[in-house]
Amino acid sequence: MQITRRAALAGIGTLALARQVRAFEPYKPSAELLAAATKEGRMVYYTASFTEVEQEVINAFNKRFPGIRIQMVRAPGGQLITRIKTEAAAGKLSADVIDHSDRGLMKEVENLFADYAPPNADDYLPSVLISPKLWPRLTPAWSIAYNTELVKNPPKSWIDLTKAGYDKGAIAQVIGPSGGTTWTRIMFERQVLGEDYWKRQAATKPALYPSGAPLADALVRGEVQIAPLVYNAILPKKRDGAPIEIFFPPEGVPIVPYATGIPKTAANPNAAKLFLDWSLSDEGQAFTIKDQGNLTSLKSPPFVPEGFDPKIAKVWVPDFTQFAALRDKWLEEWNTVYGYRQ
Amino acid sequence: MSIATTSPRLFSRAWSALLLVILAFLIIYPTGMLLLGALTDANPVIDGFANMQLSLGNFATVLANPTVHAALGNSLLACTGGTLLAVVIGLFFAWIVVRTDTPMRGFIAATGMLPLFVPPLVAGVAWAILGSPKTGLLNTVLASMGIGFRFNLYSLSGIIFVFGMYYAPYVYMFTASALRNMDPSLEEAAEISGASAFRTMFTITFPLILPAIVSGMLLSFIVMLGIYGVPATLGAPANIPVLTTYIFQLTSWSPPRYGTAASVAMILMVVTGALVVIQQKVLSGRSYVTVAGKAFRPRTLRLGPWRWFTFALAVIYLFVVVLLPTAALLIGAFRKFLFIRNLEALFDAKQYSWLHFDRLFSNPATIDSIVNTMEVGVATALIGGVLAFAVGYTVARTQAPWRRAIDVIATVPVAIPGLVIGVAYLWAWIGLPGGFYGTIWILALAFVARFLPDTVKVLTSSLMQIHRELEEAAWLCGRGTLSTIATITLPLARPGVIAAMTLLFVLSIRELGSSLFLYSSQTMVMAVHLLGYYEGGNFSVTAAFSLVQMVLLAVLIGLTNLATRSSAPSDAVGSVGRAG
Repeated sequence: MQITRRAALAGIGTLALARQVRAFEPYKPSAELLAAATKEGRMVYYTASFTEVEQEVINAFNKRFPGIRIQMVRAPGGQLITRIKTEAAAGKLSADVIDHSDRGLMKEVENLFADYAPPNADDYLPSVLISPKLWPRLTPAWSIAYNTELVKNPPKSWIDLTKAGYDKGAIAQVIGPSGGTTWTRIMFERQVLGEDYWKRQAATKPALYPSGAPLADALVRGEVQIAPLVYNAILPKKRDGAPIEIFFPPEGVPIVPYATGIPKTAANPNAAKLFLDWSLSDEGQAFTIKDQGNLTSLKSPPFVPEGFDPKIAKVWVPDFTQFAALRDKWLEEWNTVYGYRQ
Repeated sequence: MSIATTSPRLFSRAWSALLLVILAFLIIYPTGMLLLGALTDANPVIDGFANMQLSLGNFATVLANPTVHAALGNSLLACTGGTLLAVVIGLFFAWIVVRTDTPMRGFIAATGMLPLFVPPLVAGVAWAILGSPKTGLLNTVLASMGIGFRFNLYSLSGIIFVFGMYYAPYVYMFTASALRNMDPSLEEAAEISGASAFRTMFTITFPLILPAIVSGMLLSFIVMLGIYGVPATLGAPANIPVLTTYIFQLTSWSPPRYGTAASVAMILMVVTGALVVIQQKVLSGRSYVTVAGKAFRPRTLRLGPWRWFTFALAVIYLFVVVLLPTAALLIGAFRKFLFIRNLEALFDAKQYSWLHFDRLFSNPATIDSIVNTMEVGVATALIGGVLAFAVGYTVARTQAPWRRAIDVIATVPVAIPGLVIGVAYLWAWIGLPGGFYGTIWILALAFVARFLPDTVKVLTSSLMQIHRELEEAAWLCGRGTLSTIATITLPLARPGVIAAMTLLFVLSIRELGSSLFLYSSQTMVMAVHLLGYYEGGNFSVTAAFSLVQMVLLAVLIGLTNLATRSSAPSDAVGSVGRAG
């Protein structure tokens, strides 16, 4: 049984890397919803998250609700939104649930979505909600990771990434224009760490990577030594035994709440609702935290990752108006500061 | 003697019209969508044609952008270098396999084709593991031997090296079959006149197969121009942009910039179009008929002791291009993670496990993607093989009206980078009535259209070599055109037809760009699934899946080989080796 073995591996990681901070009830759907969803028996899931990460979510959901087969369409953010818009315009949108990391892009297509709210809607932070139809199913968070075999004097904060003393090209960054996730981080850097943070950081001549995943891989292989990374991208590698240490910097932890909803045209709306209700429940959120290394947008988290103290760590959510308004101008400036030609 | 004179005029007009309609649907319509995309920032399906503001703004932006200049320069350098290397290697191999008595030629030919099965992304990552200046395994080995030299594959010369190694089989495919089908009498004449073996080779043999060499060069250059995986993995860390990596960035940024991407694609199309024109100029007005109505068998050159030298060169090539990267993939797939401190750490058995394969196959989408890919591959090979033969025969062998136009249109897709054409297919075909969108057929049609030039080229070069006297003999005996094709042309061109269909199958299995927008939840294909793992940063699972893909392809090609083997049972080269 492969799943059992994986679950066991994940379990080992869980003990060391997350802890429960409050008791919660397992998710229990109404008998009507469960019956209607089971009758539909399937669901099509569009996501901008990663294949492997989302397959774990589907496996966990199917362990609870085996009668519903989920088929996934996964694409990078820009490509996914193009597909959604085009399919919708042609009347051929086949998704039952759409899940996207860029809330700005999702807000633009808000009218495609049906009214939906999970049973625990009131437990969510109002500051992360951008539409009554879209919910933060996933809330990844930024962290800093380093290769323990190569870094003898590890950084302890965001500001440490501006210090000289590391090898040339030891620090690496994901490029600003790569998407909403990175845009959140560089917005945080400028608004919280200071107007000149980019300039000071760029002075260390960081290696620039097109996206987080290949950077995480390069960090493990030792191509680079230190990098800001989304926690869920690097945690699985640490669990596999890679020489990696990860921490949440004290100045703040930028989070990137997803926007997830059910299109009006969903062919399997009940299966979609069951999946989202479960995902957004305490149980579903606990799963993404402890097994996948995400945070949550729940006011009171059921679990927290190791090294993350909700009382001390300052979670930073971008102001949604500024998120859209500043984007083009600031990204252009970032490109100039980092010498990245677009 | 031609179709036009032996068949009613009406039939040949209707036939050309039918081909033009098919090509318009498959090629002109999506290409038009792409052009439209370059001229506007709108999405034609969403905004409708009426509301579009056409402007040359995207072009102006692109042409003034220094990154585009750098990317264009790098693309041209990398592809020129890569093509030259590929020609040297491919031609040399074709000669060794077909015309010399080098030992184990069949084995050399079969394994020499292996790079063709390796997706560029995988080749790039394998060579990154081997030749990264900081962590490359080759450099780890050099360090442990106390040698100061270091390989640096993160460079333009690294990209050229990998391009040349991996695209040599294209040149090989074209030239091997030309060499095999060549009448040896001219070479014999040269030798009787006292020319040495090498002089004969350079003054008689290679000039005679020039169309095959030029076709192979052109195809490999153009294929390299459209490759994303190699420059993405080897160029990106050294900040060497090329056109494809730039286009991919434009489409995956959020919000995406398809208008700009389409404009950059237009630059690629212009470059490629110019190359096609040059090729036609080089080849025009010459006769390359070397297969005539008399029986012969190409002669084998006896190399004497030199055959061990050619054998050694072949072994070195196979070692570098097959064994080393495969070893890197095996290490990647079985090692828990890829930090390798030194040589001892590489051989630490505790670091190896089946973990990544377990993960791969615990995902039900993996098996689904394999099944879907096989279905799409077979559909593409069958539909594409028939269409390419129809186009190739019409253009090369008949006087049918509008055949120049047919030829030109069928060549257009060669110039369009796959990463951009995907979205054009989506825009063009999503509105079609019926349940076409979301089935494997839309993928198969996209692949047929995209690889039509490659397939037609392979078929045409084998058709060009069949002397018209053979067909004329059949007509004189009272056969009709279709019957002549069925009994004379098709059997003679069979190696070319099989090669073309095998090539289509292989290309469609690897094809990523045009799949990106056309696959649905029911029709995910392997290339998309593979990219999903790569983008997820899990190189180990990517390597494991790549190995699975390579083994599958090798098995399938082997089966095709067994199934089609008839006239030359001792020829171990197989259909791919016979390709071209």
